[in-house]
Amino acid sequence: MSLNPGASGEVDNVVAARRAYNAGLAATKREDRSWGFVVGFVILLAALPLLQFVGNANYVLHMALYTFMYIAMTSAWNIVGGYTGYISLGHNVFFGIGGYFSGMILAGAGISTLITAPLAGLVAAACGIVVGLITLRVRGPSFIISSIALLMIVRILFDNWDYIGGSNGLSVPVNDLDVRWTKLPYFYAMLVIAILTVIVSYKIKHSKFGLGLRALSQDEVKAESAGIDTFTYKVMAFAISAFFVGMCGAIWGEYLTYIRPNIFLIILVAANMVLMGIIGGKGTVAGPIVGTVLIVAFNEYMVYQFGASALNILGTGIVMLLTLMFFPLGIVGTLAKKRKLPRFLDWD
Amino acid sequence: MTNAIQVLILGVMLGGVYALMASGLTLIFGVMRIVNLAHPIMIIWGAFVAYWLFKLYGIDPLVSMPIAAAFMFLVGIVLYKLVYAREAASAKYSEMTVLLTFAVALVMDGAVSTAFSNTQRVTSPPYATDAFIFGPIFIPTAQLYAGIVSIILVGGLFAFLQFTRTGYAIRATTQNRTAAQLLGVNVAFISLLTFAIGSALAGASGALVSFVFSFFPAKHWEWIAVLMSLVVLGGMGKLVGTIVGAFVLSIIAAFVGTYAGATWSTITFFLALFLILLIRPQGLFGDPIEGT
Repeated sequence: MSLNPGASGEVDNVVAARRAYNAGLAATKREDRSWGFVVGFVILLAALPLLQFVGNANYVLHMALYTFMYIAMTSAWNIVGGYTGYISLGHNVFFGIGGYFSGMILAGAGISTLITAPLAGLVAAACGIVVGLITLRVRGPSFIISSIALLMIVRILFDNWDYIGGSNGLSVPVNDLDVRWTKLPYFYAMLVIAILTVIVSYKIKHSKFGLGLRALSQDEVKAESAGIDTFTYKVMAFAISAFFVGMCGAIWGEYLTYIRPNIFLIILVAANMVLMGIIGGKGTVAGPIVGTVLIVAFNEYMVYQFGASALNILGTGIVMLLTLMFFPLGIVGTLAKKRKLPRFLDWD
Repeated sequence: MTNAIQVLILGVMLGGVYALMASGLTLIFGVMRIVNLAHPIMIIWGAFVAYWLFKLYGIDPLVSMPIAAAFMFLVGIVLYKLVYAREAASAKYSEMTVLLTFAVALVMDGAVSTAFSNTQRVTSPPYATDAFIFGPIFIPTAQLYAGIVSIILVGGLFAFLQFTRTGYAIRATTQNRTAAQLLGVNVAFISLLTFAIGSALAGASGALVSFVFSFFPAKHWEWIAVLMSLVVLGGMGKLVGTIVGAFVLSIIAAFVGTYAGATWSTITFFLALFLILLIRPQGLFGDPIEGT
């Protein structure tokens, strides 16, 4: 206000105090997180196969594995769809690419997908970069449409590519473990992928990179003028996302022992990723996990009650519609807004 | 040469049908800035109306087309009131709205596939397998009728937009929603009307589709991409652009289908979409897309 000599000193003091206060807030928030609970829960999940000693837990293991897979895929989708704000409705393209890449190696050379999965992830990421370089040039409706078109293109290609079995797909060798333990390698592989994906998602959210992504999701022009290389950021996010989805595809193919376009490249897989991400909370770290668990349980219930897969589409659609209309922030987002989010889910 | 003329004619006929299929979509986007991913499943619903009317009462799909259109007009009103009204109010494109229409598409897909199962169907009026033959050139009657009816309907839509007061209001709302409202256009009603007209166009094209192509509920995912590629090619929300896009692409697709195999004719649309995004993201006739 006035030009008294002490003013600049005072301003410095205020700024310093403010910084200290902010740092303190961040620190308490970090220390506040109850990682113990999370780690304990993961250990519990890792011990799940022990149930096989008690009785037949193959169903439990299958559902857990399936949930892990979707946690990984939804978290990966969330990096693009949530943080960056580019909704991809054809993200299972990378699922298919990963599944076919590793599946073909397994069928041809007999090398397990457990070994080739990271490679499949890299291939998917490379495809993600190529696709991203084209489609990420546009935002909004054109991007969403191009993501669906990409899915259609890949579907037609895979359906008509005789070398990889066409629309009939091909079988891959079954592992020679005892029936009780046959799911085990894939169970742990998926668990590890899911954990990795969530950790990467967390790290991105709390990094400068993630900040840049969130900035460009709000306003791309402003983000660009603030010095963020938005295009590189977007393509990077897309590639990282594709990497994890590709790894999931690789493991899933060997787990099912056959690969067909009809498993990987149907829109329901993409719809599931989107729905799980949204119902849990788009753009939050814990959202995809909550959403996945809920939707997998819901789908299982629907199948158990009604059996038909067409009803499943109907149910998925209705849940998605209601969520979007009444809780667009998703469960984690809504709870966080009301400040009622349990501490063990507060990872943002 | 005759072969090329033959393929050209087939392409033009199909182009008419595609233009009709996409016109509702582009109209709705123009007025409401909503990318209605549920549009193709509305076409399927229209096709089902025509299919059952034909199957149960033997009504020709060309005759039942107004019924299918009227039915979808009503469905459009209900959907608009239930789901789209609040989105239209914001009148700005948003990702959430697209997802909402995606959810609507899932619901409508699930509903028909639960009710009628996901098998291939086609209505077979007597002319479905006929053809007009002019020397070396033949024109399948079904496609000819569908093409002519589509072109008439699209022409009617043009006339409606060009020469009626409601048409002026729709075009004004497309150009500038706020300004239209300031000049006394009842924008909320225009949105509702546009959505219902768009849905009716979907229903009408569904009746044509029911005998031109075979259809099944899950087919609409493919059509989303096909129709959207027409809309993007023409420039989002530009009706003329969409129609030109429809004719251009379906003629190209007809040639690709003839000379490279039918499988690849669909892929033409998708590749064209990618090419357009690469070269001219706003489409042939479009202004730069909002938020690009």
